[in-house]
Parts: sequence; C-alpha cells; structure tokens
Amino acid sequence: MSNLNKKLIIAFFSVFILGIIGLFTIDQATQSRINNLPLITEIPAFELENFDGKSFTEANLDNQITVASFIFTQCEGACPIMSTNMGLLQKRFAESDELQFISITTDPDYDSANVLKEFSKKYSNKNNWFFLRGSIDDVVELSQDGFFLSASLLPLGHSTRLILIDKDRNIRKYYEGTVDANIVELQNDIVTLIKQG
Amino acid sequence: MKKQLFFKSAVVSTILSYLLIFVGGLVRVSGSGMGCPDWPRCFGRWIPPTNVDQIPSYIDPTAFNIVLAWIEYGNRSLGVLVGFSIIVLNIIAIYYFRKEAKLFVSAILSLILVLANGALGAIVVSSVLNPFLVSLHMILALMLVSVLSYACIESYKLIHVEKFKNLEGNKTLSNSLILLWILIFVEILLGTGIRTNLELVSIENPLLSKGELLNALDSYKYFHSFLGFTLLFLSIYIYTKLRNNSLYIVKFLGIFILGMIIIQIFLGEMMVFFELPQLTRLFHTWGSSWLVGVIIILYNCISNEQSK
Repeated sequence: MSNLNKKLIIAFFSVFILGIIGLFTIDQATQSRINNLPLITEIPAFELENFDGKSFTEANLDNQITVASFIFTQCEGACPIMSTNMGLLQKRFAESDELQFISITTDPDYDSANVLKEFSKKYSNKNNWFFLRGSIDDVVELSQDGFFLSASLLPLGHSTRLILIDKDRNIRKYYEGTVDANIVELQNDIVTLIKQG
Repeated sequence: MKKQLFFKSAVVSTILSYLLIFVGGLVRVSGSGMGCPDWPRCFGRWIPPTNVDQIPSYIDPTAFNIVLAWIEYGNRSLGVLVGFSIIVLNIIAIYYFRKEAKLFVSAILSLILVLANGALGAIVVSSVLNPFLVSLHMILALMLVSVLSYACIESYKLIHVEKFKNLEGNKTLSNSLILLWILIFVEILLGTGIRTNLELVSIENPLLSKGELLNALDSYKYFHSFLGFTLLFLSIYIYTKLRNNSLYIVKFLGIFILGMIIIQIFLGEMMVFFELPQLTRLFHTWGSSWLVGVIIILYNCISNEQSK
C-alpha cells in the first residue's frame, strides 16, 4: 500500500516534469520559427516593367510581404512547378491584402509583355502577382547583386529558389521552389510574418 | 525468475512506449515533424547538425531549424530505444516462453508493430506530414501499447497466480470493459478525425484563427463530446461494480479510468473554450492513450477464468 503510494507520487511527479518539458519545448519551437527568419539583406533599387506596362520598382515592395521568383515562359523544367506552387500560395492567402507575388523573366527577348500576360493567366488568379521584365543586364544584376542568386547562362541558368521578402524590403529566407516540404515551410513563414504585422 | 524477467522487460517496453507517444504528440503540437527533411538520418547526419555549416550540399539548408530538428530527432531516437527494448523482450520470449502462447504472441506482435510504425514514420516524413498518415502513425502506437499492456498483465498474472485464483469472473463486467475499450477507441478515432480535418483545413486556409478552424469543422465534433459523456457514465457504472473488489489493483484501476475520463472531458472542453492551447492538446492525446492500455490490464485482471 505505502509502496503503491510511493509509486503514485513518482508517477504524478513524472507527469508534472513531462508537462514542464512539453511547455518548454513548445515555447522553444515557437521562438525558433521567428528566429529562423533573420534579416538577410535589403533589396537594392531596381526598375522593371509589369506585363500591363506599368513600372515596378523597389518602392512597390513596401508594406507588402513579397514572394519572388526568377522564371521564363518557355522553361519546361522547374518553372511550371515553381509557378504552380506560387499559384497555390496565392490561392491559399487569397483573403490577405498583405501579400504579393513577383516573377521576373530571365528571357526578356522572347517574353514580351503579351507573352507574360498569357503566361500569367495560366497560373495567377488574383491581381497581386506581377510578371516583370527588364533589360537582361538589369535582371542579371538584380539576381546576382540584389538577391544573391546565380544568373549565369541565362535564361536556363536562373535560380529555382523562391525568395521571401518582408514589408521593409528585407530578404528573410530562400526556399527551393520545387520541393513540397519547402513550400509548406514558406507557407508557415508567411503566416509568421503576417502575424508579426 | 524467468517470468519476472519477462514482466520487467514488458513493463520497461510499455513505459518507454508511452513516453514515445508523449514525445510523438510533442512533435505534432510543436509542428516539428519536418524538423529533419530526410529519414532515417537528419540532414544526412546520424546526429543532427548544430549549425548550418554541417549540412551537406545536396540538402537545402534553408529548411534547417535546429530546435525543430532536435525535437523530431528526439522522437526518432526514443523510437529506436523502444525498438531495442522490444527486441530484448522478444529474445526473452523466444528463449523461455515459446510454449506460453499469450506471452510469445504478444511479444512477437509488439515487435511487428514497432517495426511497422518505424517504417510508417519514414513515409510520414516523405509525405510532408500528410495528416491522415500522421494519425495512422499514432493509431499504430496505440495498438503497440495495447499489446504491450497485455504482455505486462499476463506475465504479472503468471507470477502472482494465487492473487487471482479466487477472483470470480463477472461476465457483465467483462463485457462492459470490452464495450468501454471499443468506445474509447472509436472516441480516439473521432478525435484524430477532428485533428486531421483541422490540419487539412488549416493547410488550405492558413490564415484562419483556431476558433474559425473549429467552426469550419463538420458537426461530428459534437459527436466526440457526446461520446465523451457516454464514456463517463459507462465508467461510473464500471467503477461502482469494482468498488468492493478484493484486489487493490482492480479497485485502483477502476478509479484511474473514471478519473482519467473526467480529466479528459475537462481538457477537451478547455481546448474548445481556449482555442486549443498546445499543451492541453498534448495531454488530451496522451491521457487517451493511457486509457487504452489500462482498460486492457483491468479486463485481464478480472477475466481470469481461462488461466490455469
């Protein structure tokens, strides 16, 4: 009997300890999500053109969380998957007005405004996704010096990463645009950023 | 002596398995399931990396979060430990108890279950945490602790034959316990159904608050509460039948079941009114897993007629 009581006390104590461990772990996990979105670098000034002819500059990044990608419309490998994934995120966050998407073409010779417009119809279902073009030199410079992403042997050699940019033009994280797990991660990080305000 | 050895080994395996269910629940509530994107290793390493430089070039380092990696890896390591403890149990069973069908079969079955669940864990990770598979992972764990609890009580009875000798079997009570176990399993399935649907809705609608998520669920969430109260009445009935039992362990388990069901209802309602605080979720799941094992132990305590 007293033996059993002793065991009971040990049991209750263990559950209590487990509770504290649980609380601590959950708190650490929550904190780590925020800490895992460091300020990487600020996007420099740039000027590109949307498919509707309007200019799009770094100022358009202000007060919006932005998901960015480099693509070209004739690309058959990664770009369709990346764009499908961005379309998925666009749909899931359709009710938010704090989120926008930009896709910058690495093949401006072929990707005229009209081509980009047709391409956008395939993937975008809201007017918060901008398909941008500029001179190839500007695009290379922006990719390499602005986003720190390789841009050799364009158009094919563009990066397949998606870039998460916060409301103050800061790059917060990169995601492999073709990997499901990374898209889930990106989705969670967007929620974290939106909640932070 | 041999029986003692089997019993102790079964108890250790059972306790470790319950701990594993706790840690597994912790992985789910803290959202650490993708902490290691590969399997069985974590970022290509047997010991998870402690900084980004240790990640091999073929894995994208942006997915790396040291805290989540170690939480996920804790679950895997404990799983391996449970596997080893069950292997020890099987060695004892094969060596000494080949002719004791109850002990032998339960040991083998637990080994099959733990291996299957380890493999399922790999599939869970490669599916990027498909909510159905995550729930199935937990259901298999519940089956594992059921079998292990059975191994515990059957070996305990072999050691203490005289204690159970004079216990009179009671058909109604045994049947009530079977009913209680089945209903609790159904209740757990409903609960995991709610959780699965919450996660599915949340993936498609990442901006919904937890309260809105609950509202978005089908009406069968009410059935979960309704069945919860049914379980309460059934366990009160069982408790009144056991109150005067001559065996202390039987009385104790009766109180445990009743108390645990009351705690579960309390935790469940807390989750609705306070929008699913994570720690409550964790203990709500874990408590239900204890009921599954404890009812099996109690049933085999009082259903003694077949044993020699």
